[in-house]
Amino acid sequence: MSSIITANDGRDIMPGANAPENREYNMFIGPNHPGIEGNFALKLVVEGDTIVRAKTEAGFLHRGFEKLMEERLFIQNIAIVARICVPDPDPNEENYARAIETIANIEVPRRAQFIRVLVLELSRIGSHLFTFGGHAGTIGLYTLPNWSISDRDRVLELFEELTGGRVYHIYNMPGGVRRDLPSGFKQRVLDVMSYIEERLPEYDDIFFNNKILLNRAQGIGVLPKDKALEWGATGPDLRGAGFAHDVRKDDPYEVYGELEFEVPTGEASDAYSRLMVRRREIEQSISIVRQVLDKMPEGPVWNKQPNPLKWRVPAGDAYVRTESSKGEYAYYMVSDGGIRPYRVHVRGASVTHGVHILEHMLTGARIEDASQIMFSMDACPPEVDR
Amino acid sequence: MNAQTQAPTTSRPPAATGAPRMTEALVSAITAETGIATFRTKSPRRIEGTVQADALHSFAAALRSRVGFEHLSAISCVDWIAEGEFELVYHFWSYRDSHLVSARVRIPREPGSMATITDLWLPASFFERDIHEFYGVVFQGNTDLERYILSDWKGPPPMRKDFSSRDFAHEHFTFKDYEPTWDELIDGGYHGQKRQGEGSDE
Amino acid sequence: MAEKELTQRTAWDKVLANLRKRSLWMLHYCTGCGAVELPPTMTSRFDMERFGIMPMVTPRQADILLITGYLSVKTLKRVILIYEQMVAPKYVVGFGSCTINGGMYWNSYTTIKALDRYLPVEMYLAGCMPRPEAIISGFNSLIDKIGKGEANSWKDYYENYEFYKKNQDHVFGDIETHHDVPADGRYFGILEAKR
Repeated sequence: MSSIITANDGRDIMPGANAPENREYNMFIGPNHPGIEGNFALKLVVEGDTIVRAKTEAGFLHRGFEKLMEERLFIQNIAIVARICVPDPDPNEENYARAIETIANIEVPRRAQFIRVLVLELSRIGSHLFTFGGHAGTIGLYTLPNWSISDRDRVLELFEELTGGRVYHIYNMPGGVRRDLPSGFKQRVLDVMSYIEERLPEYDDIFFNNKILLNRAQGIGVLPKDKALEWGATGPDLRGAGFAHDVRKDDPYEVYGELEFEVPTGEASDAYSRLMVRRREIEQSISIVRQVLDKMPEGPVWNKQPNPLKWRVPAGDAYVRTESSKGEYAYYMVSDGGIRPYRVHVRGASVTHGVHILEHMLTGARIEDASQIMFSMDACPPEVDR
Repeated sequence: MNAQTQAPTTSRPPAATGAPRMTEALVSAITAETGIATFRTKSPRRIEGTVQADALHSFAAALRSRVGFEHLSAISCVDWIAEGEFELVYHFWSYRDSHLVSARVRIPREPGSMATITDLWLPASFFERDIHEFYGVVFQGNTDLERYILSDWKGPPPMRKDFSSRDFAHEHFTFKDYEPTWDELIDGGYHGQKRQGEGSDE
Repeated sequence: MAEKELTQRTAWDKVLANLRKRSLWMLHYCTGCGAVELPPTMTSRFDMERFGIMPMVTPRQADILLITGYLSVKTLKRVILIYEQMVAPKYVVGFGSCTINGGMYWNSYTTIKALDRYLPVEMYLAGCMPRPEAIISGFNSLIDKIGKGEANSWKDYYENYEFYKKNQDHVFGDIETHHDVPADGRYFGILEAKR
């Protein structure tokens, strides 16, 4: 018996909508739609231009990472974990390496810890620049994507020099990092940081102080502090609501405890406030990168681990958290002493932002703001789907 | 209500009030307030302990309201197939004290059933639905256990240990002529294991 | 239509192909993680628009369906729907190793392992993931191919629809899309030409 493929797989997700006596109608945004951050779908019930109910649909990017990791060796997984979050892959590598280090009590050389912080902060800068481009695109400001995404390319070029890969780096190994900084690399990082720092005022002129953005983003997608805490928001979305929580400060890992940086917060709890938190985080990240390069000691960068094909991690479990550009990123790893992880649970930062917080925030908003609200939450679908 | 006119409200007092407590003080506070004495320090900022399945809801409520663990970081599920049990690990974070409490619950694998905590934490709805999809655990009281990520999946819950992703892929997808065989170096590889399994059956 | 007209290119075909190759619109659908290299390709640093390639939001106006990476079964269903909505001539470009042989997801239970079993692929871009330079070089060879009238894999979908349908059914169970594919094939004069 054949069935017709429909956009909702034949399931009536919103009973009563589209009925003749009903003034509400169904509207689907995505998965093929440029206003959607990746392969993700929104199902809206709208009345006029106002969204009455919203449902998210994920799973288009599901690859079953947690299962794949159970079927592969510890060393093999290093190559695949970065793929879980595409724009900001390094928190995955960091979490995976640190979970193994916590379980197996592997010491990481101090220089490697500094390099990891450097990589994480560069990745954060790149990811925020990417988000600015996407956010600007949703409200029709197409100049900023052309600027911010090509500026992000300078960060990617640094990554390419350091790790060999533009997007995925496969650089953090349990016990340290794969190789040391190339000669002259520090100066090139500083140059890029100065460049981005100089560009930020130009971004202000063209985007952050742009009347269109102010009109469109202020007062849109309001996530008050009490709701943000109740619904489990983390990262810039929580800080944009005025709650200064940052895993780097409150649960410090690597050498974040020794570095000085501020945790920017916003007041208005709206899309603009979250956007500005990200913008100010770039300044903080630049400052962190400079401190890291300044304080980085000499020494080895990797504690050599045994034969990767027979590498066993002792039995145990660990819950490790990282502040990614999207929020709290955590791995729960269980090892039974074998050559493969027994279980790795990936808690993506977007599982709260991209699913039920988005559903709540879209309710009552207007259709044209749906994409913008989604981008202002910086929800990353591959993290939700894994 | 229109989101545009909705003013930001802060009815609840901010979570981070008072001086943060030390780990030992937190462990004794958890024991005193929830009546469950299995919790111990695991590593810096990490506290773990075991809770009986039927006591978890009241434990979580007390942990949230009286000890101040406001943030549900995640719920993880581990399939201990040899023991016939699922282990649910609830990770709670305290914004005030900057500590993580991991509460372990063991439930029988068949039938996997557990009380929901969505009434306490809204984010639990995603994690519970996720575990329901990938392990088949039913959360009593959770009204939204509809398929989400695997909405057109027809196989068994894929994260169970008795489900082999590689077998499924070989059964359902056509491959290119290329077939990876390098993993025979490690433990006989997929085909080596298959051959052994076939041999033992005969 | 006579067979001769289809196999031999007339002068008009050549003019048409030359016009067509300079304005390729790519469907804006980020099916997988390779999509992250498209914004750099589109924007000012690599500037795909130099070659007349632009992102397009709707399938009906798009010429290129770029499959950016792994395809989960759930996405494949949408991709087939979208592909059938697109108006011929249309070109599927498999982007990244995952579309070629499953890539690093060779043992994943949700991703397909060979895109050309389900859709006629015009061209593959290898790599995980291909760099913007590789994307542009790939698109340039696609442009050449179209100009020479060699980019005809889309006809294969109509000629061998049973093959594709069988593989699609193998993954989804018995499915039926909204599109009458054989009727499309007759409209483009492909199925008659075969008889």
